[in-house]
Amino acid sequence: MRLVRENFPSKWKVRPDGLAKVTGTLKYLTDLIFPNMLYGKVLRSSYPHAKILSISTGNAEKLEGVKAVVTHNDVPGMNRFGLIFPDQPVLCDDVARYVGDAIAAVAAESEEIAELAIKLIEVEYEPLEVIDDPEKALLQSAVKLHPGGNILHRAGYKSSEEVMNVIKECPYVVEETYETPRQMHAYMETEGGVVVPDKNGGITVYAATQHGFKDRMQLARILGMPESDIRVISSPIGGSFGGKDELNIQPYAALLALKTGRPIKLHNKRSESVRAGIKRHPMKMKMITGADEQGKLVGHYVKIIADTGAYATLGPAVLDFAVEHSTGPYLIPHVDIEGISVFTNNGVSGEYRGFGGNQVTFALESQIDRLAEMMRMDPLMLREINIRNAEDLGPLGQRIVANDGAKNVLSMIKSSTILTAPLKRQDNWCLRGRGAAITMHGGGLGFGRPDPSGARLALTKEGEIEIAFGFEEFGQGLLASIEIMMTDMLGCAKEDIKIVIGDTDLVPASGSSTASRSTNMIWQGINKLKEPWRDKILDAASSVTGVQKRKLFIGERGVWEKGVKNKMIITYKELAKSFSHNLPVCSTQYHFPTTPDAVIGGHYLHTYAAVAAEVEIDQLTGRIKVTKLDHSVAAGPVVNPLGYLGQIEGGAIMGLGFTLFEDSIMEHARYHTENFDSYLLPTIKDIPLSTNVDVDESLFESDIFGPRGVGEIGTVAVAPAITAAIHNACGIWVSKLPVSPEELLNALELTPFLFDQQEVVE
Amino acid sequence: MNTEGLRNKSSAEEENNININIMVNGQSYSLAVHPAYRLVDILRNDLGLTGTKISCEIGRCGACSVVMDGNLVNACLVMAYQVDNQVIETIEQVAIETIHPIQQAFLEEGALQCGYCTPGMVIALKSLLDKNNHPTEEEVLDYLSGNLCRCTGYNGILRAVQRYKNESLSIHKFKL
Repeated sequence: MRLVRENFPSKWKVRPDGLAKVTGTLKYLTDLIFPNMLYGKVLRSSYPHAKILSISTGNAEKLEGVKAVVTHNDVPGMNRFGLIFPDQPVLCDDVARYVGDAIAAVAAESEEIAELAIKLIEVEYEPLEVIDDPEKALLQSAVKLHPGGNILHRAGYKSSEEVMNVIKECPYVVEETYETPRQMHAYMETEGGVVVPDKNGGITVYAATQHGFKDRMQLARILGMPESDIRVISSPIGGSFGGKDELNIQPYAALLALKTGRPIKLHNKRSESVRAGIKRHPMKMKMITGADEQGKLVGHYVKIIADTGAYATLGPAVLDFAVEHSTGPYLIPHVDIEGISVFTNNGVSGEYRGFGGNQVTFALESQIDRLAEMMRMDPLMLREINIRNAEDLGPLGQRIVANDGAKNVLSMIKSSTILTAPLKRQDNWCLRGRGAAITMHGGGLGFGRPDPSGARLALTKEGEIEIAFGFEEFGQGLLASIEIMMTDMLGCAKEDIKIVIGDTDLVPASGSSTASRSTNMIWQGINKLKEPWRDKILDAASSVTGVQKRKLFIGERGVWEKGVKNKMIITYKELAKSFSHNLPVCSTQYHFPTTPDAVIGGHYLHTYAAVAAEVEIDQLTGRIKVTKLDHSVAAGPVVNPLGYLGQIEGGAIMGLGFTLFEDSIMEHARYHTENFDSYLLPTIKDIPLSTNVDVDESLFESDIFGPRGVGEIGTVAVAPAITAAIHNACGIWVSKLPVSPEELLNALELTPFLFDQQEVVE
Repeated sequence: MNTEGLRNKSSAEEENNININIMVNGQSYSLAVHPAYRLVDILRNDLGLTGTKISCEIGRCGACSVVMDGNLVNACLVMAYQVDNQVIETIEQVAIETIHPIQQAFLEEGALQCGYCTPGMVIALKSLLDKNNHPTEEEVLDYLSGNLCRCTGYNGILRAVQRYKNESLSIHKFKL
């Protein structure tokens, strides 16, 4: 079904946070100002790899207006952070391993003074050999960046010992190496916020994160203080895309707040955000894929090298995900996948929308298209021959929730007009082409990884139905989705609801707002609370009104009595007043659904997507313009159609940027692209004006898991659809992203392309 | 109107301050500010008008878009001395009693997600629509090419402009 207002009239809702956003009245955490507030700044390493011989802060401390300078000596607890392996120094003591490493931090009466003070801190470095390439890091002779060496993580999956042998026997074999860029999250709001100390020695942290409780745990460890003394307020957020899940400015603002006893505001400048912030893992992927005469995929050999940068953060999980998704939605009998995530002195790579799926999907789908060309077969036909069935095992041999999504999105995209309408292939200096790609994407953290969630439903004394989750709103539309699910599942009006998120003092732990898990976790939470809630409310209403419980139901504004004409017998407000204490509260704890098979990291719930793209190539400049982009997505029932559409369309343009423009260019482990003058994001002039999103909402009857999240799926298969269209337009295969107009232009000159005569239409 | 200012100032800073008079959203202010301050600093830090956002601070993203004497500017590129005796309109001025129809269209069409670019987008569009109520698609694309949005992919924003145009056309027709 086309995702447009007409098809979802009752669910097409204005988002609850919309009004404050369009009027500019919403206070983001970086907008906050507190009385007596100081400004913080962080000194980052001058070298991508150096021994720190000495740090002298005397001159900075003497500067008028400077209130505190902190170094590693001021970290009371563990001087390390990291979501899984705490290996990154909060403030470096002996060695700096990348240009984002923090050496010291300053609190001053103004940002300008703090900046000046930073320049007065004298650090004596002894520069060390720099590893700026993961392949160099793997050499025997390479300097070791961490005590355990330069390999962060290895992951693999092998379904057969015979892979290379069977591939050698195949009549059709494609071997190619693909490379993807160090994409930046480029959230419009850079990392920042305020840490406010309280009288009892505790702190309140107002700073963006995707997981308030994890920040609280990490901060407690760093500050050597109990978690109960730390409150993390983490919403609203001006964009995240995975980039704010890891700690960023919080420890520095917290250390300074505790040292000065005053609120500290710390808001990264864009260049500092680029320097210190995580990025998408650049990956180099070699794939050798073989198919038989009929087009059945027989063998698939994959080697992945991921540049994880200086520290671990979520590097291991990203690699696991890439390995798992290297075969996509295809059935391939002989598979051998090996991945390695390698430390370098480059910028730290970590969590990013798509989580390793985007890189391998580009490579895999490109392989399929190359095979199709070799066989002179329609590329969608080749996909159809090899696509998984609903009941097939998952890519790591694990059981997954049966779903026809893969087949459905493929069949939906086949009817996209991008692929079916006549195409004028050449027009003056412009060449046109079209292509498509598909993907499947796991949700949640995967088998063997704690992935719990919690929800709480309560009647407040004001008579509001308060729903609380430990999630954050960073734009994805969580608040709207909660509101829609609440009115849908509890029958209440949106005016009855109070939503509480993003505050560790007020919400249950729900896990991270990541991995396309929140929508599903919210649905499951409300679904579990629905019955106990109804029971409690109806019991109370019955005892107050004397009407038998079986005649009552919960609805808009209050409790209603069934009858020829239903009538409301007590409002939620009146009901709340009838309690002197112990207002109704229901809580639940649950876990993201996981596969019953002990395959570490293996996913259980999936979403599926197909993308069709049309491009124009300017033969004079080599520039590519994506003129049309269509999507088919299967992710279960649509909860919040406007939010869904925004995630798919927005994700697609992020994918377009990944394909055509975006790369955080590093040389000798230093960034060249420090802001939006050199790091190019898609603008409104770079997007396809024609775009359609079609959805498949079907779930099998046995599927009790409800709607899946769509935060990531819109970005995953965009690149290979665009590069397939480029090949269709000019005959050139792209294997490195972002596509270089210069290289394309050179290739165009070298390989005059003749259209397949049968394909030329109009 | 004089303002105490929300910013904490050190005495060292105050020595070099310059005096400026500025009209912001219909209210006049006399301020003593550091000469190196930019309009965006004055709005956010001295006047507490945080609807104007900061993001790239080099004039590439448009998050700090405001209208100065009728022209759309990036408030990060305008120095304090340049705003002396100027009239500034920020996002806070766009909705006074009711929201502007373009804001309504943004809500209806989902032209925003995280919302951080939204004030800049809205003020840019309003400034275009004030001059030309029925811009062509090309004009809209040109006008918004300096406003980056990382969340929506812009399609929702274009649908909002289309809705605005359709509705203002229908209002127009109704009047006739």
